[in-house]
Amino acid sequence: MGFWAAVWDLLTTSDHKKVGMIYLVTSFVAFGLSGLMAVAIRWQLAGPERQFLVGDAYNQVLTLHGATMLFFFIIPAGLSGFGNFILPLMLGERDVALPRINAFAAWLFVFSAALIYTSLFFGGAPDVGWTFYYPFSRTTGLGTDFFMMGVLLVGLSSLLGAANFAATVYNLRAKGMGLWKMPIFVWAIFATSMLSLFALAGITAASLTVLLSRKLGLSLFDPAIGGDPVLFQQFFWFYSHPAVYIMLLPYLGIAAEVASTFARKPVFGYRFMVFALVGIAVVGFLVWAHHMFTVGESLLFQLVFVFFTVLVAVPTGVKIFNLLGTLWGGQLDFKTPLLFVMGFMFNFLLGGITGVMLAVVPFDYQVQDSYFVVAHFHNVLMAGSGFLAFAGLYYWWPKITGRMYPEFWGKVHFWLFLVGYLITFMPQYVLGFLGMPRRYYTYPDGLYLWNELNFASTVGAVILALGGIAWLIAMVQSFRQNVKAPDNPWGGYTLEWATSSPPPSYNFAVQFPTVFKSERPLYDWEKEGLKPTPVDPATIHLPAPTVWPFMTAVGLLITGIGISLAPDMGNASVGGVPGWGGWLAVGLVLFIYSLFQWALRKEYDHPVVHHTVTGKSNAWVGMAWFIVSEIALFGILIAGYLYLRLTGAAVPPEDHRPALWLALLNTFFLVASSFTVHYAHHDLRTNKFSPFKLGMLISILLGVVFFLFQIWEFAIASGHYVEALNAAGQSEAAQKAALWFTAFFLIVGLHGAHVLIGGTGLALAYAQGLAGKINSHEQGTLEGSSMYWHLVDAVWLFIVTIFYIW
Amino acid sequence: MLQRSLGLIVLLMLGLVLAAEPGQAGGHTLNILDRDASAFNREVRGLLVWVMGFAALVFVVVTGALVYVTVKFRRTGKETGEPEQMHGNDRLEVAWTVIPTVIVLIIFGLTAQSMFKLDRPTPGAMVVEVRGWQFWWDFHYKDYGVRNSNELILPVGKPVRFEITGGDGTNYDVIHSFRITSMVGARDAIPGVVTHIEVTPEKIGTYYGQCVELCGASHANMRFRVKVVSQEEFDRWIEGARAFQAATPTDPTLVRGQELYKQQCAACHAIKGVSQGAPNNPDLTFFGNRTTVGAGMWPNVPEYLEPWIKNSPGMKPGVKMPAFPNLSDEDVKAIAAYLMSHKVEGLDFSKLEKF
Repeated sequence: MGFWAAVWDLLTTSDHKKVGMIYLVTSFVAFGLSGLMAVAIRWQLAGPERQFLVGDAYNQVLTLHGATMLFFFIIPAGLSGFGNFILPLMLGERDVALPRINAFAAWLFVFSAALIYTSLFFGGAPDVGWTFYYPFSRTTGLGTDFFMMGVLLVGLSSLLGAANFAATVYNLRAKGMGLWKMPIFVWAIFATSMLSLFALAGITAASLTVLLSRKLGLSLFDPAIGGDPVLFQQFFWFYSHPAVYIMLLPYLGIAAEVASTFARKPVFGYRFMVFALVGIAVVGFLVWAHHMFTVGESLLFQLVFVFFTVLVAVPTGVKIFNLLGTLWGGQLDFKTPLLFVMGFMFNFLLGGITGVMLAVVPFDYQVQDSYFVVAHFHNVLMAGSGFLAFAGLYYWWPKITGRMYPEFWGKVHFWLFLVGYLITFMPQYVLGFLGMPRRYYTYPDGLYLWNELNFASTVGAVILALGGIAWLIAMVQSFRQNVKAPDNPWGGYTLEWATSSPPPSYNFAVQFPTVFKSERPLYDWEKEGLKPTPVDPATIHLPAPTVWPFMTAVGLLITGIGISLAPDMGNASVGGVPGWGGWLAVGLVLFIYSLFQWALRKEYDHPVVHHTVTGKSNAWVGMAWFIVSEIALFGILIAGYLYLRLTGAAVPPEDHRPALWLALLNTFFLVASSFTVHYAHHDLRTNKFSPFKLGMLISILLGVVFFLFQIWEFAIASGHYVEALNAAGQSEAAQKAALWFTAFFLIVGLHGAHVLIGGTGLALAYAQGLAGKINSHEQGTLEGSSMYWHLVDAVWLFIVTIFYIW
Repeated sequence: MLQRSLGLIVLLMLGLVLAAEPGQAGGHTLNILDRDASAFNREVRGLLVWVMGFAALVFVVVTGALVYVTVKFRRTGKETGEPEQMHGNDRLEVAWTVIPTVIVLIIFGLTAQSMFKLDRPTPGAMVVEVRGWQFWWDFHYKDYGVRNSNELILPVGKPVRFEITGGDGTNYDVIHSFRITSMVGARDAIPGVVTHIEVTPEKIGTYYGQCVELCGASHANMRFRVKVVSQEEFDRWIEGARAFQAATPTDPTLVRGQELYKQQCAACHAIKGVSQGAPNNPDLTFFGNRTTVGAGMWPNVPEYLEPWIKNSPGMKPGVKMPAFPNLSDEDVKAIAAYLMSHKVEGLDFSKLEKF
């Protein structure tokens, strides 16, 4: 295959292995890049009052380091990278549930990284820290707009990816593989996907509200109209703490697989390990405010979060003990992957201990935002999850590339990373005790031990960089030596080892035995003498290649640039960049056009009958999971509104309230359209195409009428809003009305956007109907969009209650 | 090699213990666990003893097991057959779930007890309002009607309650976080929100204050000093400050300085009896008493003060004060001398021991 043919293949593929490669390559490149930024940060801090990176420049590097490591390395490498490549193989399947959505999510992921880095060409990177606290994030330059837009897009990508994983695990498993027979890694990916679907709404709400505050001046957090800046932190950490477990769980799955394989034993306490995974996922939701002990919340509030924070240490401890149990009594083969797992266990132990220390609130007051915290989270993320990312990389490298890697360089990499890590971060714990805050670009000379410890830390960072070079050598040597990898080089027990290295596009040309005694099918089958039966590869049909998911993502990238460049009406100091309208228009047109082209391209060229575990279609299950995230998003924003309303900060204006009769009229349109969609769907299932098309058209028109009425209503309300805003300085009632209007525009507007999205979904299904590309078998678009439309309808009923009636 | 790196860890842990009791080898020794500085620190120390005890236990058990596993179960290549295929042990697993649960519950109980203790308001505390601004601190002694910027004078042995906010309640700033490093933990300065923390300073000396929430380009340069002095010295200062009226200068340099101050500085900065200034800029009334310039950045001596007046953005990135390239060196000297002339007489805060 020539170079351009290979590129074209990549752009048009929906093969989960190539999609996994897109994630893996991007995220490990991101690791290298932001690792270099970390070295730059340490270079600046090697001594007191150095001038290498000063002020804003330092803050930009700091922000990019954190954001890139978190959003583009540690979250995606395990979940989306190894998850996409390995999970369908482990399940003995040919692909994921929603291959094209999956490809779209991967490109969107790449482009959201590109979008954030595009800010460098428009006056500088974001400099607000990856946490982008409000109101700081409202006061800074254009880089923050790109950052917010990038976070929103990567969030959408994560949600689609997570819904796809959830649907895959639910619907596609080798015949006979029950939930309790799945490998731990599959459980880990499944639990992580749940966590993403429930939690991601937090960061979507946070970044969306900051973006709207910057672009339109709409802010729930603005103290000038009685808003609460702490509310931002509640939104933000509602995601960003569970995100810590999103960054951990997939890697715990990798650790269990590696430990089991290299000890030649099953995992110790399979059920306990699964319970611990799910336990971490559940308790992980109740600890977010431990990032906010110094914001001055009430004692009771803090105590609740202390309780759950110390409690979450228990299931995490169980994971470590069970890993030890897995290794105990085994025949340990200390190859690079196992070394990284051992390094992880030691470092994660330190991180766990210091984590419990941080839950001791009076101590937390002392070390809040100090180097103690920096050392702690690098302990769990870098030497914890990061080490396991490399364990996974070395473990699956032969499977993914079809080549062995040089063990020597792998080990050099490990030891340099371990030693470099400890020299970098152990001094930082001490610096925390000696009062050094984090995110400082400089420090004065003459503070006891600061110079020495900082210098030691920089030396450690250089050793880490050398480890990075050893890693590159290992990878490059692997390709140069070109030692062909056997199917199962380590004696692994799970199904990814039951195919060639690298696997063919269809994964398996066999029918597996349907007896699953444990999570180790290969081991069990060998004991019992069961063998897979060959299948003729010519009878296997895979999804047809199409470039439109990629083009749709390109459209969103350009749209994102346009929105980022638009003038900030919420902040007079930042004007727009001329030409933003052009970017926006081109992006939107490309997006819509590609989306319709995508919908009109059938997934398979050959008619294929899908067998799913649940009997529901993949589109149905995928959308059902996606909807969880939508409910969470409205839930979070509405919770914010209720808080402001119940504390008396937001009060609807008595004389200028949006009219109830209009809302009720709109309710009629929306509810009616839900019925018409339902009947149209029914018609399709019974093959009555004309009534189907008519029903779809009526539904779409009802949606349009709803939307037009809402625009009219917003036009009237915005006048009253501006009035209230102008009077906010003088009258308390006007201030409360302004905050109420802000919540109104934000939440009702977001619902309006959902009407637009849902209506587009219906239009896609309608277009498929007109083109004759939909029938009672291939109707995924309609299944998804009609379910979404019902959601839009249900949310509206809530909104009418809390905004128009209450 | 694992053993060697373990040795390294032990060494670093030792360093950590030593760091908790640093010597007084010149310079400023920051120590968040300084037991003589406040009851707050002693409370934290008391908690840490427990936590570190449990931590040591867990650390020894797990690391011991790791080392044992590494040494004992290493593959030799001489194995015959597979290891025992052990799928788990319910009793063991329950044990290592229950024991950590008990430990964390004990830690939770101790923490809760301590939080209730620290949260109890002290009667008769002196109230100081703390306002965080990009990139400096403003202090208002509410009981006395005295304002001072970037330097906080406190009497030893007297409880003080800090009421902390971002901006002044009308003009809002970004979020900062207020921490007197060797004395008491951090509390965020959030615009539109008032948070509070209380402490009784117990040791006379100079304390180092910092901002601990990322707030912009000069987040690292947003420091302040706390001067804990005897009650008698504090009373002299606060009385002098309340009665303070800027004198009309007669010395020609000071006259020139006042003239320039009124032209160039007065619109933003306040000096009691000379200019109102604006609330979102530092108060300069007691400038002559201050030991630092630029928000705790440099010693308050002409060597730093003069370039600061002339070109502060060149010294501290993101600072809101503009540069004054049109001022001549004489002008700058005159302004500096004029500023230094404002003080409560008979006090010198520069000789206090540093913590």
